[in-house]
Amino acid sequence: MMRNRTRPCRTDLEILRQLLASATHDASAAMSRWTDGLITLTLDEVRELPLDRVCSELNIDDSLLTMVVLSLEGELGGEMILTFDEENGRQLAASLLGREVNADPEWSELEKSALTETGNILACAYMNAVTRLIDHELVPSAPYFVRDFGASVLEQALMVQAMTSDAVLICRTGFHREGEQLNWHVLFVPTEALRDRMGDALHARV
Amino acid sequence: MSSCTITQPAQKQNVGMGQTALAKAPGLLCSVLGSCVGLALYHPRLRTGALAHIVLPTASGRGALPGKFADTALPHMLTELLKAGIPREGLVAKIAGGACMFGVSGPLQIGDSNIEAVQTLLAKENIRIIAKDVGGQKGRRVTLDCSTGELLVEIAGHPKKVL
Repeated sequence: MMRNRTRPCRTDLEILRQLLASATHDASAAMSRWTDGLITLTLDEVRELPLDRVCSELNIDDSLLTMVVLSLEGELGGEMILTFDEENGRQLAASLLGREVNADPEWSELEKSALTETGNILACAYMNAVTRLIDHELVPSAPYFVRDFGASVLEQALMVQAMTSDAVLICRTGFHREGEQLNWHVLFVPTEALRDRMGDALHARV
Repeated sequence: MSSCTITQPAQKQNVGMGQTALAKAPGLLCSVLGSCVGLALYHPRLRTGALAHIVLPTASGRGALPGKFADTALPHMLTELLKAGIPREGLVAKIAGGACMFGVSGPLQIGDSNIEAVQTLLAKENIRIIAKDVGGQKGRRVTLDCSTGELLVEIAGHPKKVL
């Protein structure tokens, strides 16, 4: 059932940003270990956006993207999407596999596996941080590799939030290689129940 | 902000989640869909069309975006078309989208319900669906050409289709 949710105030978003910055720090450490120090992460933004403008606000258009999607099942749930453009996804897979970039248009199973494992590592690092905060274990689903229009995948990830609200909360993380910003992102879309639980836990702390 | 806009001629307008838009020839209306359904209404003689990016089947009193739900989007489109001088007589419909993204084990599979809701509502309103491209597991980019009424459907890795 839909209920009228109070829009999060600037303070709530700032508190969530602090939590997710801490989770991003953990994820960055995990990513650095996974890539031999090559890749690090920073939290770009935590925003509540109107549903009808979310793709344009995030500059996620009809470009084809390579993505790894993980779901958190249940009321305290959400979606996590790791997005790359084709070139960057191929480069990450090649560097993880210690090979030249694959020129075949089809992704090999090994390349897919390298990216899905990256999604696993990032999701577990994020979820461990949130689990510690809310004292409720969050276990991501098996990662799902997909090449599709970015907006189509984001739309699906927003569906649970869309059932109860015309605005959605999105956290976006950026990646860096030796200080250079990469066209990769992690989008985390928590359900309303999870964001409320995170907010309550954070308010109890401060 | 109104969720329904009328494009200027020759403009290409993106229709976001929960939005509806109208255009006269030679306007283009486009949307990128996953499990959402794109509902295109078109009047061939008056060369005017409307596109809705429908997210969920029924409003049940929810939300402020009329284009978000099938059961509010269709009446809203008919009203806006009428305001623009387009009568419902002569309108035809094309639909696309409603994919089961990430497979059946993925989160909240609503595509089939969206398709069914749109088809049922169109039947009740006696608006004929003259073409559709729905279901599957991939996203779609759709573009309604208001000069011709053609609905271009693009799916990653597949040949383009014109409905």
